[in-house]
Amino acid sequence: MGNYILRRLLYMVITLFFVSIIGFFIINIVPGSALDARINQLRQQGGEVSYQEIQSLKARYGLNDPIPVKYWKWVSGVVHGDFGESFTYQAPVSSLIGSRIGFSILLSSFALIFTWLVAIPVGVYSATHRYTIPDYAVTLLQFIGVAVPDFLLALILLVFASKVFHSDIGGLFSQQYQNAPWTWAKIQNLLGHLWIPVIVIAASATAWTTRVMRANLLDVLNQQYVQTARAKGLREVIVVWKHAVRNALHPLIMTLGTLLPSLISGEVIVSIVLNLPTTGPLYVSALINKDMYLAITFLMALSVLLVVGNLLADLLLAWVDPRIRYE
Amino acid sequence: MASVPTASQALQSQATADYVVRVEDLRVEFRTSIGVTYALNGVSLEIPRGKTLGVVGESGCGKSVTGLAILQLVPPPGVVTSGTIGFRSRESRTPVNLLEYERMGPEMRHIRGKSISMIFQEPMTSLNPVYTVGNQISEAVLLHQTGEHKEAKERAIDILRKVGMPNPERIYSNYPHELSGGMRQRAMIAMALSCTPDLLIADEPTTALDVTTEANILDLMRELQQEIGMSIMFVTHNLGVVAQMCDEVAVMYLGRVVEQASVEEIFYDPKHPYTISLLKSIPRLGTNRKEHLEVIRGSVPDPYSRVTGCPFHPRCPSFMPGICDTTMPNVVYMPDSPQHFVRCHLYNDLANHQAVPSGVSNSIGGNGQ
Repeated sequence: MGNYILRRLLYMVITLFFVSIIGFFIINIVPGSALDARINQLRQQGGEVSYQEIQSLKARYGLNDPIPVKYWKWVSGVVHGDFGESFTYQAPVSSLIGSRIGFSILLSSFALIFTWLVAIPVGVYSATHRYTIPDYAVTLLQFIGVAVPDFLLALILLVFASKVFHSDIGGLFSQQYQNAPWTWAKIQNLLGHLWIPVIVIAASATAWTTRVMRANLLDVLNQQYVQTARAKGLREVIVVWKHAVRNALHPLIMTLGTLLPSLISGEVIVSIVLNLPTTGPLYVSALINKDMYLAITFLMALSVLLVVGNLLADLLLAWVDPRIRYE
Repeated sequence: MASVPTASQALQSQATADYVVRVEDLRVEFRTSIGVTYALNGVSLEIPRGKTLGVVGESGCGKSVTGLAILQLVPPPGVVTSGTIGFRSRESRTPVNLLEYERMGPEMRHIRGKSISMIFQEPMTSLNPVYTVGNQISEAVLLHQTGEHKEAKERAIDILRKVGMPNPERIYSNYPHELSGGMRQRAMIAMALSCTPDLLIADEPTTALDVTTEANILDLMRELQQEIGMSIMFVTHNLGVVAQMCDEVAVMYLGRVVEQASVEEIFYDPKHPYTISLLKSIPRLGTNRKEHLEVIRGSVPDPYSRVTGCPFHPRCPSFMPGICDTTMPNVVYMPDSPQHFVRCHLYNDLANHQAVPSGVSNSIGGNGQ
């Protein structure tokens, strides 16, 4: 097992190396850069920008270097914790992402917990009460959950929250707490705002996971060993939760592999609609503005999370199912 | 069995009186979206105490469903529509009708695994892959016998040793996938016998195993049967196994028992044309290789349709027009052998002057229409 993990870690480093090369190359072959946008901006503000000025800006950001040189400069920076500077925000990439990633992780973790806490019991209920009215109701809700777009649900909940609870909405804090130091009241304020994005982000995932749970459990309930468990005289609750559910969790665990990257990029649309200070909108704007270092840093972070997530999912799977052994 | 002389003599004298389970007129339907399948159309049989009853018949005749119905474990959309299942435990000999208990209620659960256990055809899939063999055996012990985890573990290891597992302590912490098919079936038997049941329902327990393993498992079952003194309901389509294992045989066709008798009478003096054809279709050593093996012509009718009269008449070599295709035959007892009954019009004239034994009553013969 130890050897296996070491080998996987080695593969991960190799994979990430190639991702960084390909990613960097692709971002660089796109014509134009965030600098052009800034030059345009300067022109609008104060008339002419001289050729020399443009050249000096380009030199400062190293835009005239050949791609391999740029890549080398960037990588050697990364090793020292310097991820480069954002053209658009004129700030170090690490501090830009750092200030937002906490909220992203908080939001996504809550959404994940919500998803699993709702989806697993509901899926189990739905499977064990197949073709009953509650099962049909759950199925209908699932289809709605999958079909309604995030942003629409976000808007509906915003209207609902403001009309029914008269709460001020949007963002993660009320005005007065925006820049206030952390206090108990601020945390309460945060939680009061958090539930809308959590529900919106979790809605389709919950619907989907419930569906998967139901389908899998239905398969497992037909297995001979479930009948064996019943023939032993076990209560149905134990038959289902001890003997069946654990065998139906595999696909849910496998989705964990792709889940880590979505922790920082999954909530893009919802964050834009709800005006949340998370990393998702930052990523999108970096791509739109061709903000090279910000974009490549995001890309690398997503790749790291993806490979780490997959390793964790594989290890978790081996823990749940003893038949899975890695050599 | 000759090896349990005292017990068997005692049983002889009590004749039909001492049974573990008596099934009467059991009917099971599967209500599917494309129609109703009648899986059991009035099954009546008796499982004698301390003996082995073989239940034989083609695929789909309802052998397995009968076994599952005794435990009230017929999977949905199957439902038991009528009948009684009388069960008499070792302790209190007063029969209770299992069908009066709620399917997943506490009384029924108390009987499952403790008084009546079941082992299944596929040892590869009948153990839960994610729990150790020991966990699954001691689960049953903890449920029915003791609350002590340590004691449950000791008992589980004990029973694993009894079923002939080499190194039972190691097997205890093995997962099912680490064992061979034969070992898994031994583990299943260990689990089923961990609470010394009155009755073991074995649903084709050796079908998935090779012949050597099969022989070992059958030996093991016989040994343990004598030790515990339990009855076995042995569901199979292998008549060779029946000859080795069983004291009595019930032959089933399309959800009915068409003949029940002692194993000797079934093999040497079969009455029902279906039983006779079934026996003729066994390949034998020493017969001419060029000779064709006998087959029963036709095939089992599709279960959604219902044949009028005797359900076997379209395939029967002794078909009597006007009788067999119109009337359902009643149960007829052989005058010279009161335990031997058959459901066939050929023996109608015997029915008139027979003494109906107290066992399976004649009235339930009815017609299944």
